[in-house]
Amino acid sequence: MSALTFTLKNQPEFTLNVASLIPENLAGKTLAKIKSLAVIYGNETVKLGTLFTVKGTDPSQIFIEKSTQKLINIGQGMTEGSITIKGDAGDYLGQGMKGGTLTVSGNVGCWAGNAMSGGRINIIGNAGDYVGAGLPGDSFGMTNGLINIKGNAGDRVGDRMRRGIIIIQGKAGNYCGSRLHAGTIIVLDKVGKLPGEGMRRGSIILAKKPELLSATFKSCGNLKMQFLRLLFTQLASIDKELALFSKYGPEAHRFSGDLARNGKGEILILQHYK
Amino acid sequence: MYTKLTNGIVYDPVHGINGEHRDIYIHDGHITRKPLGNAKICKTYDLKGKIIMAGAIDIHTHIGGGKVNIARMMLPEDHATDLVEKTELTRSGCGYAAPSTLTAGYRYAEMGYTACFEPAMLPSNARQTHMEMADTPMVDKGAYAMLGSDDFFLRMLASKKDQAAISDYVGWTINATQAMGIKVVNPGGISAFKFNQRKLDLDELNQYYGVSPRDIIKSLARAVTELGIPHPLHVHGCNLGVPGNLDTTLETIRAVDGMRMHLTHIQFHSYGTEGDKKFSSGAAEIAEAVNKNPNISIDVGQVLFGQTVTASGDSMLQYAGHWHAHPKKWVVMDIECDAGCGVVPFKYRDKNFVNALQWAIGLELFLLVDDPWRIFLTTDHPNGAPFTSYPHLIRLLMDRSFRNDMLASINKEAAAASTLASIDREYSLYDIAIMTRAAPAKSLGLKNRGHLGSGAVADITIYSNNKDKEKMFSKPDYVFKDGELIVRNGKIIKVVNGATHTLRPEYDNGIEKSLKRYFEDFQTVSLGNFKIDDDEIVEHGNGRIIVQPCM
Repeated sequence: MSALTFTLKNQPEFTLNVASLIPENLAGKTLAKIKSLAVIYGNETVKLGTLFTVKGTDPSQIFIEKSTQKLINIGQGMTEGSITIKGDAGDYLGQGMKGGTLTVSGNVGCWAGNAMSGGRINIIGNAGDYVGAGLPGDSFGMTNGLINIKGNAGDRVGDRMRRGIIIIQGKAGNYCGSRLHAGTIIVLDKVGKLPGEGMRRGSIILAKKPELLSATFKSCGNLKMQFLRLLFTQLASIDKELALFSKYGPEAHRFSGDLARNGKGEILILQHYK
Repeated sequence: MYTKLTNGIVYDPVHGINGEHRDIYIHDGHITRKPLGNAKICKTYDLKGKIIMAGAIDIHTHIGGGKVNIARMMLPEDHATDLVEKTELTRSGCGYAAPSTLTAGYRYAEMGYTACFEPAMLPSNARQTHMEMADTPMVDKGAYAMLGSDDFFLRMLASKKDQAAISDYVGWTINATQAMGIKVVNPGGISAFKFNQRKLDLDELNQYYGVSPRDIIKSLARAVTELGIPHPLHVHGCNLGVPGNLDTTLETIRAVDGMRMHLTHIQFHSYGTEGDKKFSSGAAEIAEAVNKNPNISIDVGQVLFGQTVTASGDSMLQYAGHWHAHPKKWVVMDIECDAGCGVVPFKYRDKNFVNALQWAIGLELFLLVDDPWRIFLTTDHPNGAPFTSYPHLIRLLMDRSFRNDMLASINKEAAAASTLASIDREYSLYDIAIMTRAAPAKSLGLKNRGHLGSGAVADITIYSNNKDKEKMFSKPDYVFKDGELIVRNGKIIKVVNGATHTLRPEYDNGIEKSLKRYFEDFQTVSLGNFKIDDDEIVEHGNGRIIVQPCM
């Protein structure tokens, strides 16, 4: 069986909501039926076949080719299978996702992994603001799962996140891990101002000193934390790609905070093995 | 140009017409007598077997004012899950428990309602309230100004100013805020909350001002009577939701010494403390007291199960209830030292003992109060349930077997603690016409609404009789507003803007002298800007003011 492949015929002019293209929704449907699915294009509802050429048979593996930032809500609520996007993706990538794997070869818009509760998102390019956050009004952002970003991320990574792991191998913007309830955020390059603003619990693990740390975080000095070793070993066992953490040791400068909330969270600044 | 409604079955309690075949003629937005022989009838509707009632009137529904807007802002998920797309006629909107203004207006009209009254307009929030009501299409509206916890009034009462001065202040407030009545919410309690009192019984003193809720209710009820305001003082009493508040409510009824008083959402004020869980129904005692005291009218504030949001001016009670917020977020705030406001989202669960008993208490009250002229159908939208559940509530009242089926599905202990199963009463269509049309109009002093006699405004709702009353009342066949057909088969076919009902009571304007000084010293706006001009409501010709006469 070959992967079910959707190729955009033309560059869409307006945002195109492709929330219906998830494995469980396409399972058991013929190609003709898939082509007649309704998608929301701009302010109209159009048939999927008018915008995409579709081939392949296996709905548990979906490919979207020539994708652009106009494609929004990719993989919304998916629970199984995989979606691979060649090109960029728009806002709300993997919104409310519960399982499965989403891979994007380009950049993505804002709200990637918004309120996701399981599964994994890999982004090779950069991501916008609010990675793994929740929509305004939601009590929590992401509640489980793993987001791995090779490039940079925008502001407010993991806003109100509850559980799960976000790994950013590039830079992160301001207010990284703001209002964090719990969970782990790892940033391996520079991070903007005021990480962990208003965080309650959880860990923000940084490889470099942040641009500005709030006065409501208190230094606890350099500590050897076996927890870091366990975390990195565990991550390496999930995926070979995540073995990169082997160069970081268990020693970290710990800041506890946000003391303006309840001070049970921590920011760890990793020390390299000498 | 006459329109004729023929062959319909008319329910018009004001004229004692109980399901009789009558023809109705509409001319120039009003209902008229049969025209003379040579008059031309342009349109005739054959309503064979259909039921004709006046347009329904909701006497207590939170559709405007600061608190609803806070609820809207606080609950984006309520909006995201209930989106209303625009059509060629209607505009888009959203919201289930706290719908947007436009959506609220459309939904009311599609249920056959032609007038709605916002019960809690803070004088300092009046402009916002009128703007929101102006944005609520299809229905007529009006609002009750909220007094009783505002600094100026409490100062007057504390310094033992004479009743005439207080009446002047009440009259001035009605005039300045374009109100339709006076409401008092947790008399003095909202103020007491700010002085760290967390409960205030009827005879307990507000620590700062040294006045009790009893003084406040008596003084305001006197003022309302003396000014000749048709709607009696609208009272949201002390101790809302507290088990054992039954005694407070009975004492409140005694406190007004026979003056007219409207007790609102009384279901929340009818709790006893019997039983293992120290929570029981006081519906029988309350109903008995209401039956005995013809000066008292009530609306129920029925609870129906599901997600909603409670929005109240009673910050003391909302603070006490915030622990039960679902989803877990809440707001309690002061508004300009006039009063306060609290918004707590809440989910009523049928398997929860307390919620299930609240549901039963509301229904017991409906069924035990004998006189439908003094009990109005409300859910205290959105506090007990959104107004869209009225048809379901009507079915519960009209269909005993349906009610008993529902009773069997709720929390077993609550069902056992309630006397609901033993009550045989079923409301008739005539009773429903009284409690949703004739009685509210009478209570509010709307002389030409709520009935179908000659001279009445042609606000008419026509239903197909159906055994399932929920279906019947949720989808009227035709709704006429001011003689125009606005809804056909439960769908809007013409968008209109309703009027705003107000009063102009007579009072001594000398009160403005002391008010002016007070405003200069303490208020955030000047006296001139505080008052609401007619032009503000009539803006761009969308609104209209109807001044109702005082008694």
